[in-house]
Amino acid sequence: MKLRSRAAFAAMLTTGALVLTGCGASGGAATGDNTAGPTGGTLSIGSLVDVTSFDPAASHVGHYMQYYQPVYDTLIMREPNGDLTPMLATDWEYDETETELTLNLRDDVTFTDGEKFDAEAVKANIDHFKVANGPQASTAASIEAVRVVDEDTAVIELSQPDPAILLYMAASAGFMASPAALDTEGIIGTPVGSGPYILDTESTIAGATYTYAKNPDYWNPDLQKFDEIVIKPMQDVTARVNALVSGQVNAALLDAKTAPQGTGAGLNEITNPVDWQGLFLFDRGGVQAKPLGDVRVRQAINYAIDRQSLLDSLLLGNGEITSQVTGTSSAGYVKKLDERYDFDPKKAKSLLAAAGYPDGFDLTLPVNSADTIINAAIVQQLADVGINATQVVIPSTDYRNEIFTGKYSIGYYGIFQGDPWVAVNHHIGPNAAFNPLKYTDEKSAALIEKIQAGDDDAAKEFTEYITEEAWFAPFYRVNQLYFFDKTVTVENQLQQAVPSIYNYAPTK
Amino acid sequence: MLIFLLRRLVAGILLLFVISTITYVLLYFSSDGIAQNILGEFATPEQIALKQAELGLDQPLPVRYFEWLGGAITGDFGRSWFNSEPVVTALFNRLPVTLTIVLGALVIAAVLAALLGVAAAIKRGWIDRAVQLLSLAGDALPSFVVAIVLVTSLAIQAKIFPATGFVPFSDNPALWLMSIALPITALVFQLVAQAAQQFRSAIIDVRRRDFVRTLRSRGLPEREVVFKHVLRSAAPAALTILSLQFVGLLGGSVIIEQIFALPGVGPLAVLSTTQGDIPVVMGVVVYTVIMVILVNLVVDLVNGWLNPKVRVS
Repeated sequence: MKLRSRAAFAAMLTTGALVLTGCGASGGAATGDNTAGPTGGTLSIGSLVDVTSFDPAASHVGHYMQYYQPVYDTLIMREPNGDLTPMLATDWEYDETETELTLNLRDDVTFTDGEKFDAEAVKANIDHFKVANGPQASTAASIEAVRVVDEDTAVIELSQPDPAILLYMAASAGFMASPAALDTEGIIGTPVGSGPYILDTESTIAGATYTYAKNPDYWNPDLQKFDEIVIKPMQDVTARVNALVSGQVNAALLDAKTAPQGTGAGLNEITNPVDWQGLFLFDRGGVQAKPLGDVRVRQAINYAIDRQSLLDSLLLGNGEITSQVTGTSSAGYVKKLDERYDFDPKKAKSLLAAAGYPDGFDLTLPVNSADTIINAAIVQQLADVGINATQVVIPSTDYRNEIFTGKYSIGYYGIFQGDPWVAVNHHIGPNAAFNPLKYTDEKSAALIEKIQAGDDDAAKEFTEYITEEAWFAPFYRVNQLYFFDKTVTVENQLQQAVPSIYNYAPTK
Repeated sequence: MLIFLLRRLVAGILLLFVISTITYVLLYFSSDGIAQNILGEFATPEQIALKQAELGLDQPLPVRYFEWLGGAITGDFGRSWFNSEPVVTALFNRLPVTLTIVLGALVIAAVLAALLGVAAAIKRGWIDRAVQLLSLAGDALPSFVVAIVLVTSLAIQAKIFPATGFVPFSDNPALWLMSIALPITALVFQLVAQAAQQFRSAIIDVRRRDFVRTLRSRGLPEREVVFKHVLRSAAPAALTILSLQFVGLLGGSVIIEQIFALPGVGPLAVLSTTQGDIPVVMGVVVYTVIMVILVNLVVDLVNGWLNPKVRVS
């Protein structure tokens, strides 16, 4: 099923459910049936990041979502399982060319400063988002303009079909702030949105504690499961585990080394494979490193890596090995490809010999100064099949930008696994920053075109193609280890580093 | 004294200028990827070019530097490239936290070190050996290890103190004290260890001097000899080590602030450096240099007050 139709179907279902349960009517009583379980109390979360600005145009996704979601509604809601359902937009529809997305909007929503939410507000927000050129501005790159049809109808005009645009409307580009607050100095520290909570600036200490109080006039009390939400930035994992184990926070992300402390303290755990890690074979065209132009050489690299032992020793087994860059939740996922390349140095050597490199060849491996251990292991395993990789250590702050310059033929990296079109634009397709040599070929280009049209079968075929052609040498999907205490329940959020704020509920 | 002060101030300003210039030039050479860092992995080349122009990254070094310097002289350090927060606001919000734990640790360490040092130097015997042993142990234990032991025992198990976080004094003085108790204790350990040794050896050294023997021979009670004369002469050495420790603490507190999730200058310094947020990094550098200059100035003044010879030199 296409993303578009799937979303529309989900939208219809939820709209129906909302009508049936009387959601949207004022007062909490009407929605009581829909709110399974108790409400109230304070939710306290330890976050890996600190919010830097509450301007939606400066917002970011992943870990940052938790800071914005309490105060800003998005146009579309992304459910924990990835389904897209109504939020400020009640339903949406594409035109035939898939370049015009019509959004029908709620007409009963006001921002906390009293301004009304309407189509003009959508236009003002998206215009602001594009002009401000913030960290997620590229997600609105395909948006040419927003047209106001009437008060509760807006049309997003796209320069080309963009199957990811609905997803983006459920993230940074979809956060709606009061038009009166946009472009003001105040919005950096004081968000003005229509979300389920309001930032309590009195109790907030920048960099230490962000306190959100319930928005008394919120249109959907179902999303207000707590009286108060407190988010504490704790970049250091030691701080997070101490705060969690001592009961200062209810939930936080730990890592492989601190996870046993969380388990030992009797906390609950969610594992969520958001990223994959492995080798990018950037020069799959053999422009700089000629041997890499031969598919047998690229496959040999895949056979040379002992994925399981790397996973066990470096991540203490917190993940699952794979040979594909596509995640299990993506429409392009093909299960059997997880085992496409097993650890077989003999086969690697014979492939290298068949490709004309019986004695191996030389390579330069850029090494992120924060990842020296895994790179040492990579060098060793490549050496075992005859590939001599010379390490060039790059400070971790510059590593990504250095590999983007296209100087290197291969490189180790960890990256998220998004939906097919997002992944194509991010690290596979000819325009992706992680394809610095802009490699493409006829077959992949044709498949990418179909993926852009929302064809899920093409997405699967594409995964098979690039795995068989060994454009990458993926090692494993890494588990995010999210821990929480017994006073809350937490639902995992698909493809997101931490759960959305709506996924938490009190147990009593 | 006034000339002495003025000379110190002028030297301080020159130092500030030289260090900030060198830092700016060094940062200039690593500013290529900043626009990409801000805009993330999906950014198009056009967006990156736009951002570079917006931040002035397309300007040559002298233009950028003098623009920054012009602002800095008037107290305007610009805004963070990542969140538009004025650098001065960011620093002023975080400075009280860092200064609280650094100065708190320093004052407590100074008092404890003086007591232990005097006791060890005067009484000698088992007290001296115990202080020596404690100093050795304290010196060998990095503050972050002490921090983790303290958190595990007093916060997680005994649940007396909070494991992380900071409460402003104005919100609740009692909770404020609880929130800074463990971070300060973690820092104090090593400081006392080093300073007590200095106090001890300085006092032993001064007590052997001729003028002390003369004072004793004039029949002055030992208590007066020690507290009025010996301590005064031994103080400069100890003060110097304390001022050096203060400078070290500005760096050392970064780790402690991370472990206790304190909203001090430390996390700001780490984040801005890793991101390449040049205006913030420059703000942190200027703040650090000013602190160092101020502390040295204070130490010079106190030394001058304690010892008239210093004023003359």
